[in-house]
Amino acid sequence: MTAPVQADSQLAQSTLLMKVRGMTMSYGSGTAENKILENLDLDVNTGEFISIVGPSGVGKTTLLRCLSGLLHPKAGTIEVGGAIIDGPHPDLAVVFQDYSRSLMPWMTTRENVAFPLQGKGMNKADRIRVAEENLAAVGLAGQGGKYPWEMSGGMQQRVAIARALAYNAKVLLMDEPFASVDAQTRFDLEDLVIKLKQEFGVTILLVTHDIDEALYLADKVVVIAEKPATVVDVIVTGFGEERDQVDTKADPRFGEARARILHRLRKN
Amino acid sequence: MTSATLTAAQPRAARKVRRAGGPNTGTRILQSTWLVFVVLAAWWVFSARSTNFFIPSLEQILTVLVRDLGNGVIMAGALYSLANLFVGLLVAAALGIGFGLLLGEVGWLCRIVDPIIHFFRSVPQAALVPMIIGVFGLGQGPKMGTIAFACLWPILLNTIDGVLGVEPTIRKFSKVYRIPRGLHFRKVVLPAALPQIVAGVRVALPIGITVMVVSEMFASTEGLGFYILNSSATFQVPETWAGALLVGVVGYIISMLFILAERRMLRWYYASGSQ
Amino acid sequence: MKETTTSPRLLLAQRVAAILILLGIWWLVIASGAVPSMLPGVSQILAAIGKAFVSAAFWGALGKTLLAALSGWAIAAVVGVVAGLVIGSINFLDRSTSILVDFGRSFPVLALMPVVIMLLGSNARMEIVVVALSCLWPVLVQTVYGARRQEAAVSDTVAVFRIPPLLRFRRVLLPSALPFIATGVRISASVALLIAVGVEVISQAPGIGRQITLMQQEQRWDMAFAYLFFTGMVGWAMAAVLQRFENRLLIWKRQEND
Ligand SMILES: Nc1ncnc2c1ncn2[C@@H]1O[C@H](COP(=O)(O)OP(=O)(O)O)[C@@H](O)[C@H]1O
Ligand SMILES: [Mg+2]
Repeated sequence: MTAPVQADSQLAQSTLLMKVRGMTMSYGSGTAENKILENLDLDVNTGEFISIVGPSGVGKTTLLRCLSGLLHPKAGTIEVGGAIIDGPHPDLAVVFQDYSRSLMPWMTTRENVAFPLQGKGMNKADRIRVAEENLAAVGLAGQGGKYPWEMSGGMQQRVAIARALAYNAKVLLMDEPFASVDAQTRFDLEDLVIKLKQEFGVTILLVTHDIDEALYLADKVVVIAEKPATVVDVIVTGFGEERDQVDTKADPRFGEARARILHRLRKN
Repeated sequence: MTSATLTAAQPRAARKVRRAGGPNTGTRILQSTWLVFVVLAAWWVFSARSTNFFIPSLEQILTVLVRDLGNGVIMAGALYSLANLFVGLLVAAALGIGFGLLLGEVGWLCRIVDPIIHFFRSVPQAALVPMIIGVFGLGQGPKMGTIAFACLWPILLNTIDGVLGVEPTIRKFSKVYRIPRGLHFRKVVLPAALPQIVAGVRVALPIGITVMVVSEMFASTEGLGFYILNSSATFQVPETWAGALLVGVVGYIISMLFILAERRMLRWYYASGSQ
Repeated sequence: MKETTTSPRLLLAQRVAAILILLGIWWLVIASGAVPSMLPGVSQILAAIGKAFVSAAFWGALGKTLLAALSGWAIAAVVGVVAGLVIGSINFLDRSTSILVDFGRSFPVLALMPVVIMLLGSNARMEIVVVALSCLWPVLVQTVYGARRQEAAVSDTVAVFRIPPLLRFRRVLLPSALPFIATGVRISASVALLIAVGVEVISQAPGIGRQITLMQQEQRWDMAFAYLFFTGMVGWAMAAVLQRFENRLLIWKRQEND
C-alpha cells in the first residue's frame, strides 16, 4: 500500500469522484411504505472529508447502505468516477457501525484484514505484507496474530479501518464508527482517521449523529433532516489540514457552525 | 459435567416466526410443501415402472396400508408399540428429572458419580435389548424397561446441566429473600432448568423410538416392529414398506406434537429470547 | 460446579469408591437371589472382561462394528455438511425442504432395515447404508441451522468487499456454522454406534451386537456382559475424543462468548 503523493490529492481537489442525484429510498411497499430518503443529492470530490450529520433514526445508515451498494435505491443514480454503480464497487470500502460483529471471530486480525485481498485474488505473501502494513498504519503493528475478541473495542475498530484501507478503495464510507467507544478512545480514533486521510490521500464520507465530531473531522458537513430525509444544509468548515481536539473546537467558527446546525435540526 | 451437554439446535417449528412483511400464508404453505408433492409424485411414477420384486409401486404400498389400517392389524400393533414407548419414556423422565435435580444441586455427589453416568450414557442402547429381553422374557414390561433405561441418561444429563446452568443471580435472590428450600426447588430451580430438561426429553424421544423398534424386531409377536419384520420374513414386500413408512409417519407426528407441547410449556422462554 | 474444589487425587478415590459401591450393590442383588439366577456375579463378569480382552473373536467383532459405524458416519457427515450449507444459505431451498427434513430426522431408520436388507442383503454394506441414513439427519439439521444464522454484519462485509462465492463458502459460511456442525457430528457419532449395534442385534450382520445376541442365546451371560461393557467403553472413548477435538477446533467460539 503506497500512499498516493500528497500533491496529487491536492491537485485533484476539485475533481468530482462521487455523484448522487435524486436518490429516494423506502422500506416496505404499498400502504406499508415507509419513505426514508427523498430526492437526495450529494457531491464528493477527490480527497475530501465529508461528514453527514443528522439525528438518530433519520436514515443515515440507510443512506450509507445505498451508497455502498448494499441497498438498491428506489429512484436516483449513484456515480463513482463517472460510471453509474449498481451494487458493491471496488472503489468503495465500508467501516460498519457494528464493527465488532463485522470482524470474523474465527480469523486473526491479520486474516481479517487480508481477507478482502484474498477475494481480489492477491497471493498469500503479498496480502499478508499489505495487511501488516495497514495494521501498522492504524497503530497495531505486531498485533496481527491476535483474534478480534482478544482486543478492546477501540482496537477492533482500528482493525476494521485497516481492513477498509487495505482494500485500497478510493472512498471510505464510515457509519458512526466511534459511536460505541469511550470518549478518550473516540478522540484518539478521530485523530487517527484524520492522520490516515492525509497519509493515504483517501476520500472519506463519514456519517454521525454527533455534531462536534462531524465538524471536527470534515472539510464539508452535510446536514440531513426531516422525514423523509433530505439535505437541509451544507457547511464548508475551512479549518485547514491541521486539527486539534482543543484548539479546533475552541475556534469561534466551530461554535458558529455548531449553533447553525443545531438551530437547523431543532426546527423539525 | 458439560462434556455431554446436548446443545442441539431447536427444531424448526420451535423457531421464532419469520419477520412480518414476508410472503403471505398461501405462498408460504406452497413454498414449504411443493417439494413434498414432487417427491411423492416421483416415487409414484418411478415405482410404478419398477420391475424389481423388492420395490413395489407406491400405489400397492398405500393400498396395503389402507387395508391393514382398516382391518385393525396395524392399529393393534401401533397401540402396543406406543404404550411401550410412553410408559418407558415416562419412567425415564420421572427418574431422570428427579435424580437430575438432586445431583445438580448436590455438587460433590455429582462429581463423584459423573464417570458412571457417562459410561451408561455411552452404552449403545440397542445392545441392551437382547440382555434385558433375554433375562426378563418377551413380555411388555421388559420392553418398557429397556426403553426407560435407554431414555434415562440423556434426560438425566440434561437435567443436571440445566440445574447447574441456573443464573447465579437468581440463586442469590433465593438466598437473600430466604425462600424455603422446597419452594426454591419447585418455583426457581425447576422452571429455570426446564428448557434444558425438555431438550433432554427431545433427545431421548428418537432414541426411545429406535429402541422400541429394535425390541419388537428382536423378539416379539406384537407391535409395529413385529409387523415389519414378520412381513419381510414372509416376503410380503408391500407390507414391509408400508410398515416402515407408517413408523416414519408415527415418528414424525410424535415429534411434531412434542414440539407443539414444548412451545406451549416454554412460552416464557422463547418470548423472553433467553435462548 | 465451580466453588468447592476437591483435590484431584481425593476425587479419583471417591470415584473409584462409587464404582466399588455400585459393584457391591450388584453383588448383593445377585447374592440375595432376587433376580433371575442366570445373571452372572461380579467376579464372573470381571473374568469375562479379561477373557474377552484377549480373544480374537472379540476384537474382530469390535472391528466390524466400528468399521460399519465409522464408514456410515463419515458418509453422513460429508453429505450432511455440504447439503446443509447449501440448504441453509439459500432461503428458498430452506423453506422447500423443511418438511422433508423434519420427516427424515424423526424417522426411525432402523424400521427401514428389512427393506434395505431386501435390496442389499444382510451384510456390512447394508449396515453402512442404515447407519449413514440415520446419521445424516443430526448433521444436516445442525448444519442448516448453523448456515442459516448468518450475522447480518458479516453478510454485509462479505458483500461490500465482494468476496467470491467459493471463498465465502469456505472462509465464512463454513466457519460460522462450524459450532453447530460440530455438535451435529458429535451427536451423530453416538447415533452411529447405536444404529450399528442395533442392526447387528436384529440382523445377521456380524459385529458386537450380533455377538451379544449369540452369547445371550448360548446362555453365556458373563460374556454378554463383558461385551456390553466394552461397547460402553468404546462409546465413551468416542464421545470424549470428539469433545476434545471440538473444544480445540472452536477456541474462538468459547472465547468470544466469555
Ligand atoms: N431493514 C429495515 N426495514 C424497515 N425499516 C427500516 C429498516 N432499517 C431501518 N429502518 C427504518 O428506517 C429509519 C431510518 O433508519 P436508519 O437508516 O438506521 O437511521 P439512522 O442510521 O440515521 O439512525 C428508521 O425509522 C428505521 O426504523
Ligand atoms: Mg445508524
